Amino acid sequence: MTAITDRQKLQYIAAQAADARVNVELETEGMTLNIGPQHPATHGTLRIVARLDGEQVIAAEPIPGYMHRGYEKLTEVRTYAQVTALVNRIDWLGSFANEVPFILAAEQLMGVEAPPRAQWIRTLLFEMARISNLILFLGDMAVQLGAVTPAFFAFRDREYVLDQIERVTGGRFHPNFDRIGGLKDDLPQGWLADTKATMDKVRSFCDEIEELLMGAEIFQARTRGVGVIPPDVAQQYGLSGANARASGIDWDLRRDQPNGMVYPELDWKVWTHPDGDSFARFWVRLQETREAASIVEQCCDGVPGGPIMAKVPRIIKVPAGEAYVSTENPLGEMGYYVVSKGDLTPFRVKIRSASFNNVSIAPWILRGVYVPDIITILASLYFILGDIDR
Amino acid sequence: MGLGLVESGKMPKPLTKLLSLSRKYSIWVYQWGLACCAIEMGAAFASPRYDVMRLGVIPLPASPRQADLVVISGTVTDKMAPAILRLYEQMPDPKYVISMGSCANCGGPYWDSYSVTKGIDQILPVDVYVPGCPPRPEALLEGVVLLQERIQSEDMAERWRGAPIIVE
Amino acid sequence: MSDDTTTTEAETEAAPADEQRDALVERFRDALGDAVVDTHVLAGKDVWVRVATEAWAEAADVARNRLGARYFGFLSVVDWLPSPFGRSMDSEVDRVLAGEEAAEPPAMEQGVTGGSTRFQVLARVAHVGHPGDYWGVTLKADVPDDTLTVDSWVRTYAGADWHEREAWEMFGVSFAGHPGLRHLYLPGDFEGHPLRKDFPLLARQVKPWPGIVDVEPMPGEADDEDGEGAES
Ligand code: SF4
Repeated sequence: MTAITDRQKLQYIAAQAADARVNVELETEGMTLNIGPQHPATHGTLRIVARLDGEQVIAAEPIPGYMHRGYEKLTEVRTYAQVTALVNRIDWLGSFANEVPFILAAEQLMGVEAPPRAQWIRTLLFEMARISNLILFLGDMAVQLGAVTPAFFAFRDREYVLDQIERVTGGRFHPNFDRIGGLKDDLPQGWLADTKATMDKVRSFCDEIEELLMGAEIFQARTRGVGVIPPDVAQQYGLSGANARASGIDWDLRRDQPNGMVYPELDWKVWTHPDGDSFARFWVRLQETREAASIVEQCCDGVPGGPIMAKVPRIIKVPAGEAYVSTENPLGEMGYYVVSKGDLTPFRVKIRSASFNNVSIAPWILRGVYVPDIITILASLYFILGDIDR
Repeated sequence: MGLGLVESGKMPKPLTKLLSLSRKYSIWVYQWGLACCAIEMGAAFASPRYDVMRLGVIPLPASPRQADLVVISGTVTDKMAPAILRLYEQMPDPKYVISMGSCANCGGPYWDSYSVTKGIDQILPVDVYVPGCPPRPEALLEGVVLLQERIQSEDMAERWRGAPIIVE
Repeated sequence: MSDDTTTTEAETEAAPADEQRDALVERFRDALGDAVVDTHVLAGKDVWVRVATEAWAEAADVARNRLGARYFGFLSVVDWLPSPFGRSMDSEVDRVLAGEEAAEPPAMEQGVTGGSTRFQVLARVAHVGHPGDYWGVTLKADVPDDTLTVDSWVRTYAGADWHEREAWEMFGVSFAGHPGLRHLYLPGDFEGHPLRKDFPLLARQVKPWPGIVDVEPMPGEADDEDGEGAES
């Protein structure tokens, strides 16, 4: 890593200075820097305690838990329908995407399958959730680098997407729309055409961001070669989603395990980047936003007619069994390990959230970087506090 | 202004009115965004569509020591609560608190959780509660307007003295 | 192989054979020998392998270095004790306090691959990064009731660090060889292990479900015994 060579350089200079009998003290006292728990740079309530040597981080430790709400315990006392409302709030920027794997796990246990129309609309809303999530990332990444304008663009264009989501689900970002066996409601009239128009706005937002940031020298200098994660380390820590793809791991659950959704019928591409640095992570997400826009458009064209709800009993009792279902959420692999004992409530739900693994790499990756890079690296890893702490 | 004039309640009426008016339209608001509601607060404060500045509210001060109002939006956990109290203590008087979202009001969907503080009003006085999960940005803006009404009509002497607010 | 595969009620209709997953189980057996206690294949969906407690760390090594599951999904624990509180609205504990007869607690059932202890540790690893060749497996092992300790996975999968801290905090299960089991989520002075089944949610016991005010029983449904009415 560059950091180490810099350090050697410093030692070399120190040795030279000592030779020249100039009294310079380059051996600095260690210092502990506390960032958070509420700090704009941690977008949320992550606290980071870093031990510094001058400008360099010797060891950094994120302290999560400021948003721990005890999800896994609460699911044990909620009925399946209530759990859907609860899990919305894990990754609050892409809420709909949180419901889907849970519903799919319950469906797998019950042995029901949603009708085709419901699957298409699920896919559609899933990708809309991804867009509304990633748009904020694209804006926020720039804020962490000191450029505020893209954030305003992001908030502006995200509203258009939220409007469309709201028209279907009634909620701006906690839709609670997915049901075991289908969906709550059908699409409103004229919605598909409007959504396609919205996707044009999303695409032009991506172009705008690309123009604003990608070419900017500062952006390149702050992100290229910073926070490099080799693929093997990424897999050991369980990095998933765009973080893994930016390290060159060609893996996307949408393609490799498309249970309950219609991705195999669509024409789209998994983007990867070989570099594994902050820039790669940004770039992959930018391409994914575009790809998601095109998936939404294809879904708009392809939605078949038919019912949106399979036959399921009114009071849902899920047969005993265990199921692990995960999907490719905006942040990475999100999965639910559901253990049922045939009751109204799940017996145990283990929530495998993407950010938890994505951030657990922080102590490894922050070692040896400079203080300002803490912020860009964390921003490019992209986590949501609710998704870490649950 | 100071000099004990306000505290003693001897300020001439028109002057009080003028002062309240100017305080009402120059609120520096510190954002304490905690969970999903923070995103809606962000939309209200930073997005061009809702634009809180037209109400005379200035978001994003550099530190709580410059703020008049803090919006606590989102889930407050027992681990976070001491930090919030500390923030509140750093703010200069007179200070106001808006509690945004069901979580901050009463625990919301986590009413039975083992780690969530069920209501921010257990640790600090709240002026305006904005209900919703999440409240729409418009709801937060209405909360701000309600707070402004309250500032306009409150007894300044009492507030200056730091007396507890009595909610009728 | 098929006679080792247990079936649950969920897949009563004759499931199609899943050669890929059966072969995977076979490879685990080859590598671990008798340490593979029980397996379960849900054809076309998923596979579970339960190993002996002593072989827990070795199983990680085999999965990662011999079978190629280099991706670490998650690690967690399940507490199989039936909850003494139910949903806390009308719990066993309350009934006993009110002077009623204590019912016989239901027996512990350890899920798809069986088991004999109260706590079971489970982990998910996967083989990723090769388009068209993706598989995941859930590994399980019993946690001895007396020591409540299993071997740590940190040496094999560095990402297990936080997961084991979480499991330790939530269930009180220790991991031998973990570099530092500290609190992850909860404040340092928190008492108890919240995800254990016998950890009560006090709020539920002192106050009824707030939503109860608007619930009317659905016509024709007497299914209201848990006090929460019918949702959805
Ligand atoms: S009130 Fe609802 S939207 Fe707001 S923080 Fe709580 S759960 Fe999230």
